Amino acid sequence: MIIRIFVFFSMFFFNYQLISGQSKSYTISGYIKDAENGETLIDAHVYLKNKTEVGAASNNYGFYSLTLPEGEYSIVFSYLGFEDQEFKIILNSDKKLNIDLISGVLLKELVVEDNKSIDQVQNTAMGRIELPTESIKKLPSLLGEVDILKVLQLLPGVSAADEGSAGFYVRGGGADQNLLLLDEAQVYNSGHLLGFFSIFNADAIKNTTLIKGSMPANYGGRISSVIDIQMKEGNDKHIAMTGGIGLIASRLTIEGPIQKEKSSFIISGRRTYALDLAQPFIRKSAFAGTNYYFYDLNAKFNHRFSDKDRLYISGYFGRDILNYNSNERGFKLNMPYGNNTATLRWNHVVSNKLFMNTTIIYNAYDFNLSGEQDLFSFRVSNGVRDYQLKLDLDYYPSAGRVIRIGGNVIHHRFTPNVVQGRSGEVSFTNDYKPKYGVESAIYYQDELKVSKFLTINIGLRWSRFEQVGPYILDSTTYKNLEPIKTFAVMEPRLFATILFNPSTSIKFGYNMNEQYSHLVTNSTSTLPTDVWVPSSTQVNPQRGHQWSVGWFKTLNQGMWNIATEGFYKLLINQIDYKESYTSNQNIEVEQAFVFGKGAAYGGELFIQKQKGNLTGWLGYTYTRSWRSYAEIEGGRRFPASFEKPHDFELISNYQASKKWSLAGTFVYGTGRPFTPLRSVYYIDQELVTRYGPRNSVRVQDYHRLDLAATYTPRPDSRRAFKSTWSFSIYNIYNRRNPFFINYDLDSDLASGRAKATAYKVSLFPVIPSITWNFKWN
Amino acid sequence: MASPKYLYRCTPKVLIGLAIPLWILMSSCETEFIPKNINLEPELVVEGYIESGDNPLPAYVLLTRSRPFFTSLSTGQLEDLFVNNAEITVSDGSQVVKLDEVCISNVTPVRKKQLAAILGLDPDSIKVNICIYLDQFAQLIPKQGSSYKLTIKTEGQIIESVTTIPAYVPLDSTWWRKAPGEPVDTLLQLMSRIKDPVGQKNFYRYFCSINTSNFLTAFNSVFDDALIDGKDFEFRLIRPNLPSEKFDQATFGLFKVGDTIAVKWSSIDQGHFEFWNTLEFNKGNQGPFSSYTTITSNIKGGLGIWGGSSSRTYRLTVKR
Repeated sequence: MIIRIFVFFSMFFFNYQLISGQSKSYTISGYIKDAENGETLIDAHVYLKNKTEVGAASNNYGFYSLTLPEGEYSIVFSYLGFEDQEFKIILNSDKKLNIDLISGVLLKELVVEDNKSIDQVQNTAMGRIELPTESIKKLPSLLGEVDILKVLQLLPGVSAADEGSAGFYVRGGGADQNLLLLDEAQVYNSGHLLGFFSIFNADAIKNTTLIKGSMPANYGGRISSVIDIQMKEGNDKHIAMTGGIGLIASRLTIEGPIQKEKSSFIISGRRTYALDLAQPFIRKSAFAGTNYYFYDLNAKFNHRFSDKDRLYISGYFGRDILNYNSNERGFKLNMPYGNNTATLRWNHVVSNKLFMNTTIIYNAYDFNLSGEQDLFSFRVSNGVRDYQLKLDLDYYPSAGRVIRIGGNVIHHRFTPNVVQGRSGEVSFTNDYKPKYGVESAIYYQDELKVSKFLTINIGLRWSRFEQVGPYILDSTTYKNLEPIKTFAVMEPRLFATILFNPSTSIKFGYNMNEQYSHLVTNSTSTLPTDVWVPSSTQVNPQRGHQWSVGWFKTLNQGMWNIATEGFYKLLINQIDYKESYTSNQNIEVEQAFVFGKGAAYGGELFIQKQKGNLTGWLGYTYTRSWRSYAEIEGGRRFPASFEKPHDFELISNYQASKKWSLAGTFVYGTGRPFTPLRSVYYIDQELVTRYGPRNSVRVQDYHRLDLAATYTPRPDSRRAFKSTWSFSIYNIYNRRNPFFINYDLDSDLASGRAKATAYKVSLFPVIPSITWNFKWN
Repeated sequence: MASPKYLYRCTPKVLIGLAIPLWILMSSCETEFIPKNINLEPELVVEGYIESGDNPLPAYVLLTRSRPFFTSLSTGQLEDLFVNNAEITVSDGSQVVKLDEVCISNVTPVRKKQLAAILGLDPDSIKVNICIYLDQFAQLIPKQGSSYKLTIKTEGQIIESVTTIPAYVPLDSTWWRKAPGEPVDTLLQLMSRIKDPVGQKNFYRYFCSINTSNFLTAFNSVFDDALIDGKDFEFRLIRPNLPSEKFDQATFGLFKVGDTIAVKWSSIDQGHFEFWNTLEFNKGNQGPFSSYTTITSNIKGGLGIWGGSSSRTYRLTVKR
């Protein structure tokens, strides 16, 4: 069946080629880069000046290819925030054209037109937003730590897990349903310090793409969204250093060429030191030895062997380390956890129309907790480890058409919560064994302009997951890679754009996604202690269907973008913990799961001003998201704990002068649902609580205003060393937003004492911060 | 007991505790509020026990109603929680015994003392007219290995439950050990050992009485043998805080030299274990890092517990 479908598509593809190949055509291809540092530009545009609908975009590696009939053309290369470049070309043979675009942020009068906005209207992508890192660095941030994931939360359709948390939910989908990729490696835990900060150090990140709507067929494995993050490649022209000193962390990045314009590297580190500074006091206290910090290290190296071949090696290593000592009673706790990823990538230009990317990926997340006191000691650990091989082919047969074909194979190891301990002479363990899985997929995706008014994108992704050995199940021993349980499904994707005029379109989309790895949490945000589990004999894959429709408009030559989208999501085989779940280590988490269904629907409005001294956006989202489990309240539909029907954001950035830039963000959202007390009752003379219908009432609405100012003392300086000061105030009017509800029950039935108090606990008051950043070229 | 469960459960709180110094500038803030009353009917709450052992307890039941959240209640309102005139029987399969309702304010001081002892309370501390349904004449002899069916008929409702008194697994031995950490003369930890029977699920609960106090539990009073099945296992018993004591990390769980204590060590069945396990988890986990755990109940048609146990009391003096 699958082979037949692929044959059908291949036939279609070759037939199309014959038709379009009848007139003589030639191809212009190459890389689009930033002139200053040689970084490739993702999703930069190349188009015909007098026929803007004919064009192409650079891929994730900066490669573009545009095939046109023989003739004379004026071709424009453009990227937001950069000067356009225009070339007159007589196209009578295939041409290679590598383009260096010059950053035009301070030369905005030269930015004649930004075709990116037009492309947003014309292409088939829906619910897709690109965030170049530079564009978010001036926004206010908590404690001065620029955080990509927190900026994502300011976009319509994305909501925050909790106050100050980097966790997020997209269009009513769960926290584990977002595919988070760092240089193509999956990141299983994106948070430091209980999720208050994300692991992505903005200094090392080039670009972030959020796909919340039409997920193209080259992505899979999660049912809600994709966050595709690319690390910088490193300046291939000269050595450069950037860094910053903030209240809780400092950063340093070094990048430069190894062989000029052929190979470059970047190393970027960040570490917190709040408790390091307190060490002189801690050392003298009963808590000597206690410390907490986290760090991130990003490194990347690339080498261009020729115009056709480029090799990248990149890695991320991050860890949270907590040591807690209470020396008075000899209690010690040690908790390291973190992610490591490594990506080896080979870009090969097979021909001027065919680009190939081969990637080998390693990624791992592990959590460890150990403690000891006197004769007792224990250790708990869990984690995920993946090896992945991935091949992607981008084929550009003609202007307006891109075909992507590829596939990947991942070998997963999921380590459950393994407990080992010792009490006196006796050791104990729950002896849980890792579960292994092989996840694979092949995909075909064809985006083509059927006519001047209609563009369609057809995708098919065939995915498969096999729980494999080594494993012992019901006293049957499975050997290494021996199949235990297999799931496979065809995931169709279909998107279409109807263009009314070059600046107005309507888009439709449908996608089905299958998810084979799951993380269930019983807290309102994900914690490092939460355990990823695979699909297996006990757990079926999650499935999501999403239908979306949108109206897109660009005004005033790309100065304004307006997008409105509506969506409906059907979520099948959703997972939660049973109502009486306790985090005891005497059962594997799968045994505490219940399975059900859900749905989410809503609408989004996004109005963005991209150019001028004042830039920013206004976002509004209406979302409803419910879940239903037969084993929870008899299947009653209840709102997801993160459902915020109304979510509004206003983000602005104003370049007041060459020295001062001001920014503000305002967010308003309906209060989150929580489970109220149904009643209280007495057991053993004390009050205990009985919870009412799940998530049936809400805390107060959430709102907050943050402001920031960035001061550049010498903006026109030609010196190699430049610095800026960032001042940020979080929650400027000191709104006490509810964080959680707490009950204090002080009661003793027999003696007649009966007092109870409910508290609303809020977390962050007004928090000012200051950060000094520098750049040395 | 300092079990892995206990330590692991504590970690989110430890995390929060450690995160707090980082937010030194950002004092979190508590504001009192009155939760909305969600207007659902009160439910019947059963708290009943039957216990075999060196100091057996006859079958008894406290039958109360749940009520909406309140800020404070008067004695009269507390007394209104008791459900009177219910028809309650307990059957061991061969005989059915009716439990009689006895209210503390209607009995002689001697009888009050006896009832207080069954409830594990100090008679002088009882200020509320507690009503108790009781097998007054100990017609049912609690026996290890027997199951007991509870039936309650009241206000047109029938409530049922079954519990089993499991075979007793004794504390094999207990001994005093110096407090962990820095040397301290006045505090000791109480160590104990059990020989967990191999190949069967066992569930344990323990209580401590300090000097003249009631039997109290620390915040994790129950555990199972999932990790220690069949082992000869050595562990620490945690001293519960007295109601008058404030939590102090430096002394918590340790016994004071010179005190006399009693440890009541019980074997319980799975339903009884799950009730206390979920109840203690529910009490200890509020806030953003844990969602709300429903307390498991073995009562059909109501809330609460009908719990059988086999117990023995070990009396010790805290000495070096």
